[in-house]
Amino acid sequence: MGRGRLSLLAVGLVVATVLLAAAGRGEAELRRGGKLEVQRADTAGLVRLGKQGGYRIFLYMPNRRVVLFYGVRIQRVGDDGFGLTYGIYATRNRGNLDHGVVRARFGSLGRVSLRFRPDGRIRKDDPQEGCGGGVETAEYGSFAGHLSFRGEGNYFHVSSPSGKAYLTRSPRLRCEKGQAAEPQPRSLRKYVALTPLFHDDDSIALLYASTRKHGRYVGITAMHPEESPPGADVELKILDSRKGMAIGHGTYLEGFAGTLLTSPPGVHPATATVAPPAPFYGKATYSEEAGDWTGTLGVKLAGLRLPLTGSDYRVHLCVVNPLRDKDGCEFFKTEPPYFERPARLGLG
Amino acid sequence: MRGTAVAVLALAALSCFPGGAWAKAGDDRPPVRQWIDVELQGSNGYTIHLSVNPRRHLVLQVEKEGFLAEYMTRDLLPETDRVKAKLRGLGVISLRFHPRGSVRHPSLPRCEKWRPTVQPGVVRGTIKFVGERNYTRVKAREAEAAVEEPKKWTCRYGSPFEFNPREREWTSKFSARGEGFFFLARRYRPGLLKSGPVIFFVEQGEAFEAASGQAPLTIYRQLKLPAPAAAFDDSHPEHLTVSPPAPFSGTGALARTPESVFTWKGDLSIQFPGLDPIPLTEPSYGFDYCLREVGCFEQQVD
Repeated sequence: MGRGRLSLLAVGLVVATVLLAAAGRGEAELRRGGKLEVQRADTAGLVRLGKQGGYRIFLYMPNRRVVLFYGVRIQRVGDDGFGLTYGIYATRNRGNLDHGVVRARFGSLGRVSLRFRPDGRIRKDDPQEGCGGGVETAEYGSFAGHLSFRGEGNYFHVSSPSGKAYLTRSPRLRCEKGQAAEPQPRSLRKYVALTPLFHDDDSIALLYASTRKHGRYVGITAMHPEESPPGADVELKILDSRKGMAIGHGTYLEGFAGTLLTSPPGVHPATATVAPPAPFYGKATYSEEAGDWTGTLGVKLAGLRLPLTGSDYRVHLCVVNPLRDKDGCEFFKTEPPYFERPARLGLG
Repeated sequence: MRGTAVAVLALAALSCFPGGAWAKAGDDRPPVRQWIDVELQGSNGYTIHLSVNPRRHLVLQVEKEGFLAEYMTRDLLPETDRVKAKLRGLGVISLRFHPRGSVRHPSLPRCEKWRPTVQPGVVRGTIKFVGERNYTRVKAREAEAAVEEPKKWTCRYGSPFEFNPREREWTSKFSARGEGFFFLARRYRPGLLKSGPVIFFVEQGEAFEAASGQAPLTIYRQLKLPAPAAAFDDSHPEHLTVSPPAPFSGTGALARTPESVFTWKGDLSIQFPGLDPIPLTEPSYGFDYCLREVGCFEQQVD
């Protein structure tokens, strides 16, 4: 870790994860005693809308039903660390993507009304191993029509759909059990709650503070992996819902020395302080004795300045000995998967 | 073209070591399997063992009470009964072996059928060695020696391979390493080893490149020292303290910081004969700590 652990490769994977978030190409259903399953036909699309303020911007249709705006920024942290900041906006597609039509409203932030214009280039791919029934076709081209979107605080603003685009059509496939792509979620918020970049299962010190208030979920995790140099990996996730739309903001970064300080394992009442680098500011202190999560810690993200402490936060602190607790900090394992936890809010 | 040149240089380099002297002498005989062993007594109670292996590597070992220093260079002569080497400012070896007595096939522990062939005799010539800062010295014109042909490398009469298998049965251990240095502390169940429940081991090495026409010199120094239980205190799961007896001095401590990083700090050092004390707790040293039944962790350093 620490420095350089989040390599460019990992960041690339994250971007790929972002763009392919919420799973595969179609919705699968089990059939006849579970020996075969069907992966439903689906259509997906992507438009690359360029870069603004350091953010790479995409319009992504992971399936026929959902339209997403993505802003993703990768930045250096210190000399050799990396960080990633993103904003994701999800809403329903009112158009028919099978016909190349995307029509969606993002509340006051923007709207799209587009039609795909193929340029004649086509690529065909065989289905994944264990599946049969047809080939996936990717058509390249561009979208024409109206597109306007303004990130909160104007951190990016796009007003034209110009950019390379493609549309992929996946046929209905019959697959051996376990080979079909995972079903895509119906809930919009699952499209904006990205999976964690850092693994928590090798951490020997981990603090997770979260709050759910007024329809907003905020969760911050700081973790120090075993054997790594001073510093901690930090993830922040903010999920909001607005009328017919889910919004996710977040950041991943490798914090330097001083990011996470804790009392030793087995010491009670336990204490911890969290002070990650920008885009965070300030410092938060946790006291097990008082059950407090106090301090000046906050974050400045795309059009958002948000304090990250307060009495409404619930805090978990795990500090373990690497030899006595071989599985690291396990408390997440007793809870639903990380990206599903915000889902219990009933946001979307 | 460049690849060819590199290959030629690589072959040349390979041909230079260890058989360069043969090439110089125009000798294309296959390598012999004989060792020459010479026993000497150095000053200040050190025993000195000189050996030349079949590849013509010369090793001069100086030993006393757990301390062992090895001075390694190359024998410049191809003949199996003659040795000539310079130990870069520390000594000169130039001798010839003269057999005396009949050939023997001594038995060795755990070597049953692998009995070596040993020709006893003497070496005559010049043997001169002065350890750093004169910690030991030897000067001889003649010494007892033997030429040995072992059947197996671990079954050497002249330098028996000694290892107590019980030393593998540690319960916890700590090691630290830096460039040219390795420190190991092992703790055992009480009563397992006669020497005591803790063993400290430190090894340091340095290599002196060869000037043109000279053989390189490599020096390894090591010390293995038993100690009482109090010298290795790892009763606290996040904290380890080692305080080995002389010729070590000071204390080394492994501790967990509020960052959950483990540090290895202190004033622990080792003083090998003839050298200044060598610190064993530099911040750049990597280290690990193991519990036999559980596993290990190591700490990366920037």
